Amino acid sequence: MTTLKRMLPLIIAMVALLLVFRIFVPTFLDSGNLLDLAQQISINAILAFGMTLVILACGIDLSVGALLALVGTTTVYFLTTGQTPLGLLLAVPAGLAVAALFGLGNGLCAAKTRMPPFIITLATMLIARGAALRFNQGRPMHIPDSQELFLALGNGRLLGVVPVPVLVMLMLFAMMAILLHRTRFGQHLYAIGGNREAAHFTGIPVVRTEILVYVICSLMAGIAGMIHASQLYSAEPASGVMFELHAIAAVVVGGTSFTGGRGTMYGTLLGAIIIGILDKGLNQAGVHFSLQYIIKGAVILGAVYIDVRRAK
Amino acid sequence: MKTDTEIPPLLRLQGIRKSFGGVHALAGVDFELRAGEIHALLGENGAGKTTLIKVLGGIHLPDAGSIVIDGEEVSIRGVVDADRCGIRIIHQELSLAPNLSIAENIYLGREPHRFGLLDRRTMYQQAERLVADLGLDEIRQVRAEVSQLSVAHQQLVEIARALSAKARILVLDEPTSALSEAETEALFAALRRLRSQGVGMIYITHRLEEIARLADRVTVLRDGESIGTQGTTDLDRTQLIRWMVGRDVKDHFRRPTSHATTPALEVDGLRSAKVHGVSFEVRHGEILGFAGLVGSGRSEMARAIFGIDPVHGGQIKVDGREVTINGPRDALDAGIVLVPEDRKLQGLVLSQSVTFNATLPWLKDWITGCMPNESKRREIVERAIRTFGIKVADPQQTIDSLSGGNQQKLLVGRWMEHPPDVLILDEPTRGVDVGAREEIFDIIGSLVESGMAVVLISSDLGEVLNLSNRVAVYRDGRILRMDDADQFTSETIMQLLTGTEAA
Repeated sequence: MTTLKRMLPLIIAMVALLLVFRIFVPTFLDSGNLLDLAQQISINAILAFGMTLVILACGIDLSVGALLALVGTTTVYFLTTGQTPLGLLLAVPAGLAVAALFGLGNGLCAAKTRMPPFIITLATMLIARGAALRFNQGRPMHIPDSQELFLALGNGRLLGVVPVPVLVMLMLFAMMAILLHRTRFGQHLYAIGGNREAAHFTGIPVVRTEILVYVICSLMAGIAGMIHASQLYSAEPASGVMFELHAIAAVVVGGTSFTGGRGTMYGTLLGAIIIGILDKGLNQAGVHFSLQYIIKGAVILGAVYIDVRRAK
Repeated sequence: MKTDTEIPPLLRLQGIRKSFGGVHALAGVDFELRAGEIHALLGENGAGKTTLIKVLGGIHLPDAGSIVIDGEEVSIRGVVDADRCGIRIIHQELSLAPNLSIAENIYLGREPHRFGLLDRRTMYQQAERLVADLGLDEIRQVRAEVSQLSVAHQQLVEIARALSAKARILVLDEPTSALSEAETEALFAALRRLRSQGVGMIYITHRLEEIARLADRVTVLRDGESIGTQGTTDLDRTQLIRWMVGRDVKDHFRRPTSHATTPALEVDGLRSAKVHGVSFEVRHGEILGFAGLVGSGRSEMARAIFGIDPVHGGQIKVDGREVTINGPRDALDAGIVLVPEDRKLQGLVLSQSVTFNATLPWLKDWITGCMPNESKRREIVERAIRTFGIKVADPQQTIDSLSGGNQQKLLVGRWMEHPPDVLILDEPTRGVDVGAREEIFDIIGSLVESGMAVVLISSDLGEVLNLSNRVAVYRDGRILRMDDADQFTSETIMQLLTGTEAA
């Protein structure tokens, strides 16, 4: 009830945007177009789910874009050097392991030292980007057509209709919403984000929770990286630039407070959808890409301004 | 108390009223301040003190009533007007730039300059002269960085800044709430000197002690109305308290009778960075009070026992069993609860609801896996609210919106869902009004009667002496003397604490 009430402005904004673009693009609300839209939103939404947890814990993770590229290249590297079908069984865990390792590093630094998360993840962003560029001299790594299963991750459609990335995104959304809104871990997270010191005094495992938050965020980046590589039919070491900023934008448009402790997974999903509609709509309406940036910037500013005013 | 002198008072408020959306914050305040007077304004939280300050400071415009300065009616429509009327408000939270020097802070925003450049030399000379003229010798090193000063001296800087801007009416909002006994004394000495120079001061407090020591007159505010004014030469405390709460309360706390049985907590040779070998025991059904000055290391002792600060040595036993405590979780599992000294920084998640805060320690009771049980959660909250008489309109409201006393009651009460063996209370009545204080004492009393062992840390000597069964006098990370409470008086404890008598 209260959640719905809080989400209402976002839902209204989403519907309004859909209707506005329907005026300029008559086919905008066609089911095919909407499914495309959902597909295009998936990667940013998945990144934003992880980012929500980090921002709720008063942190920030700038490394997810670069990590997305690194996990993509790592996975495809193992995919192409190993033998099918064993390649897939090795490649996916390897990719996720790299992601988890970076998450662990971010989390340990953030929870155990007094280094600011902004700086920590700025550094690990560079490290991840550099590591990704080590593969294949920084050139794209093609995925052979024989890797049907992996290619289906980004390009398949369930029953020929629903894109697989959308399914993965919705599944991850359900998991993350349950994790945040229905478990002790979620309560710990809100307490830490609201007042880290008080959480510690209440006996909450602050360090463990914080580390876990960064690990989950990195794993999300890893999964997104695999989908991204699959969609491109190749792993591109230079891909994912600015993805972290789009994810952060989805999170804050979704109403999560940048000072931690306030926000929901539902809001983030809506935030990602709104940004996705804006992207696709402006594109299809034929707005010049330079103007698209300016409009998106203005929308983010407006959304956060409204949120700050409402919180008062 | 009207004087028939020709000179009008410095400030006179008549029938000041202010309401917000139908709620009367001020419902008729009459108040008078003479030049060279310290006039205390006393009242419980919510009595309207803050609103009155904001009216004087130009933040709120009164709905009715008049403000008369030097016999002339004025209208204060903003901070600039307040400045021009010579009114300056010294808030609890100081507004100094800690990285700048005393002189730079005094002249912040009004720096003397020459050819568009900052004229440091003139600024330091002016600052030195100002401080000397005011007799504020404590801050005569005007080149010192403000962050190096004690809180009391920082307040003097704030006052000097106000007076350098030709303020004649100072409003001091609970200036001693963060000060130790010695610092308070230093501040009072400085305020008395300013008084002799003709500065009028409105001194807001809820400590009766301070009024007798410092003020010339006291006016009590209750429910937005000025109830009465007394001179302090023959202060009638019982009447003041009756004015404040609108009913009769005992000025002195009731000490729960000791039901001391077996030792609940035994601490032997505890050492940490600021604790140098502390040994004591608290038995079930008794209160052990720790008397000491602010900064004596009592909170650090509590933090070490509770596993917040690393322990360098010593032994802790709960109910005779030795326990190893590496963090708050271990302490809680061993049956020790600490209610920390700073409610807002260490106790509450202010942005969250009453329910969230009340049920945070007991997540296991209402969440299994990914199945939260909201009705069980509601039961926990309602039990705490009912048992401890916490005034809450809706358990879903943010804890922020509760008064300090109710917040504190919740902080103590929430642990009683599963009562611990040992309850350590660090400054449980700081920033809490008189009525809520009594209620908190009653809660502590009933907990002790039910067999809990309570460690009470308080900087209010009267509180420690009157509430505890036994008292430990604590200084510099050590217990100087520990005995039954009736073996001590305030004087003997103060002598121990200030070192005028060997332990």
